[in-house]
Amino acid sequence: MSKALDDVVVLDLTKSFSASLTAAFLADFGANVVRLDFLPDAHADRDQAAAADAPKARKWDHESDLIHRNKQSLALDPNSEKGGKILKDLFAKADVIVTDWALPDLEAAGLDFPAVRKLRADVVYGRVSGFGPVGPDKDLPAIDELAAARTGMMPILQQPGEPPIYTGAGAMHSTALLALGIVLALVHRQTTGEGQQVDTSLFAANMYGASLDLQAFLAIGHGDRLLNPISRLDVSNPMSPGIYPSADGRWVTLTMPDTDRWWPDLAKIIGLDPDDERFNSHDKRTEENRCALIEELEKGFLEKPGSHWRQVFMDKQMSADVIEQFDYPASDPQALTNRYVLELDHPSFGKLKSLGFPVFMSDTPARLKGLAPCVGQHSADVLHDLLGYSEDAIVELAREDVVA
Amino acid sequence: MAKALEGIRVIDLTVWFQGPVSAQYLADFGAEVIKVERPEGGDQARGVRSIKSLEIGDWNQYFLVINRNKKSIAIDLKKQEGQEIMYRLVEKSDVFLSNMAPGLLDSWGLSYEKLSEINPKLVYATNTGYGRHGDVSKPSFDMTVQALTGIMARLGEPGQPPVYLGMGSGDAYGGVMSAFGILLALYHRQRTGKGQCLDASLYGAQLYLAAPYLQSYLAGNKECALQHSRKQVQNPLWNLYPSTDKWVYICEENTDERFARLCKSLGAEILSDDGRFSDVATRVENNEALIEAIEELTGQKSHAELMESFDQHGIVASPINNLADVIKDEQAWQNNYFMKAYCEEVKREVDVRGLPVSLSETPGEVNTLGPQLGQDTEILMMDLLEYEWEKIEELKAKGAIP
Repeated sequence: MSKALDDVVVLDLTKSFSASLTAAFLADFGANVVRLDFLPDAHADRDQAAAADAPKARKWDHESDLIHRNKQSLALDPNSEKGGKILKDLFAKADVIVTDWALPDLEAAGLDFPAVRKLRADVVYGRVSGFGPVGPDKDLPAIDELAAARTGMMPILQQPGEPPIYTGAGAMHSTALLALGIVLALVHRQTTGEGQQVDTSLFAANMYGASLDLQAFLAIGHGDRLLNPISRLDVSNPMSPGIYPSADGRWVTLTMPDTDRWWPDLAKIIGLDPDDERFNSHDKRTEENRCALIEELEKGFLEKPGSHWRQVFMDKQMSADVIEQFDYPASDPQALTNRYVLELDHPSFGKLKSLGFPVFMSDTPARLKGLAPCVGQHSADVLHDLLGYSEDAIVELAREDVVA
Repeated sequence: MAKALEGIRVIDLTVWFQGPVSAQYLADFGAEVIKVERPEGGDQARGVRSIKSLEIGDWNQYFLVINRNKKSIAIDLKKQEGQEIMYRLVEKSDVFLSNMAPGLLDSWGLSYEKLSEINPKLVYATNTGYGRHGDVSKPSFDMTVQALTGIMARLGEPGQPPVYLGMGSGDAYGGVMSAFGILLALYHRQRTGKGQCLDASLYGAQLYLAAPYLQSYLAGNKECALQHSRKQVQNPLWNLYPSTDKWVYICEENTDERFARLCKSLGAEILSDDGRFSDVATRVENNEALIEAIEELTGQKSHAELMESFDQHGIVASPINNLADVIKDEQAWQNNYFMKAYCEEVKREVDVRGLPVSLSETPGEVNTLGPQLGQDTEILMMDLLEYEWEKIEELKAKGAIP
């Protein structure tokens, strides 16, 4: 099988889950991603983790095997003279940089965009920031909770009277948006030879997760129902989006904005007469007798367990489902067949399941070539393949602790 | 300014949200996106008139924003003559994108097999509900698919109902994934000359959205699937706290230095001397008591007073803003996360969601809001598809185009 990003060399200069996952996402589709592990910290971190968690060391590092999968690791000491030169040479070779470092840190290391561009004019330099490349808050730390707090959705997701909700979705949006921006820039470079800087921020990413409410408020400019949580017993349309408890404690959710289309089926399954005079028009269902309908749905769905409702929704091809916990996708054949969840044979831990790939491609599918590398696992390969170092020179560099 | 996707032509046969927003990204960055709609009413999203029972305003912001920078051609694809027009469009395009059910596309003669025969270089993208493979086929919307992923069930205080991530939250993510896949395929095509088909489903995207928690669950950490109380978080220094008005999010590491500083900023140095909270381990052990103690203090002040003191003491925190705050947020405007665009419908500039990705040399643009239904039909038929006027009249008479 061919790979979409076969000819792309990526340097991974990341710390956070979400930015590391961006680099892995590019690697899933064939990019040659080299993760930079800096000495002596990289070894110190590893030793510390091993010492602190001796018994735990026998546990699968599921996080690394997701966010660093398909990557190579090069461990080097950037502060040694030779290490510094290798670093510069690598940046001169790389097509793409992925980083989440703060700007002052990048500048101090000489790895900010203007500096890297001098090493390679057509570099695609991707960075995730906290709040965007310009503006008064451009230097605020890249912490997803801070960005989510600024985005306006946290106070309206929960039931009234409950604390605000942090979902964590913003960070994951940044993962995909940065990947999108990078490939966009690669396509442009392919035709013009021009590189550029690509920035997304946790702030932007949180906003785009919240796009409909946010756009509505931008346009309308007022509205309590966009500023305060709406009780599930007071939704505008009881059929969309409605959530109701079932007999076994699992919740049922409905998305039937066009209530005329779905009402006859819905009425029947909860034991109501479709011609019930209280509910026989869209207006009656969503305005006049809205609360009465919510009450009836509440009563109706409580009668039977989630499994019953799932079967009914499936049989009648209704736009509704049962709200599940992670055990559902973990064993859902649909998730496995589409490789959203992978079954893998781990060299140390045997058969495991791990998160897979969200995009299917017929000719250049994502693939799992390798799990997370050990620190420095590919140092020699990278030095040889990318920079042309001889075996002897590499041995010498290792002896001088420049690489490991 | 140069455009990243200059010269790329996209057929956008999508409705509602995920598909349209996916094509919107391509249009924002310079692709020529031609939205294909049924002559009767077009994309159903044109009919959206209220959101959360609020009137949507005097312009249809739901439809116009995600269909910005696009052209519109109206074709009746149920008619064979309409399909012939589509085939001619496929010959001249780079990308075909649809979020119609695969079965429906097949019945209109628009399967991948058929279209790639016409144009072997075509990138053919679908946005399904549950994936291209397997046997689940059922109407799918953002929330009914989100329900299956487990992300809703883990949110909220224990005992509370599950939490929906927000209107269109899964569609938005699926749209980014779809655009990403299309760009990968275009990149590959430019190197090899080969098209392919791809799919970005609501289910796949939203499982990836759950990555940190779902992956941990898959590794055996069963509690990741469950709701957790903010009154029991392990590190009380990284938590939500109420004030007399807005909540605040404090984001600090659990170290002695940061704790002492937080206590000082709350005017409660005495707390750092409390034996129950004297070091990292005891603060974790007595987390519930510490959360209560901090809450007691924050609850007496307004968020503005708290933030002023946090700033003075270098405590990392943010108030929990609402949408009214966000639309005034200078940071969002300066980064083009919000932009102004002229709206034909109301003949004035309106505020729209801008560009979440900033490219230094080929920044995205918002030139026009969503098109009128079929506004470009005739000109595309003549200029791009090179139909003679008589033929166009004939196709109109047959109802293939309006």
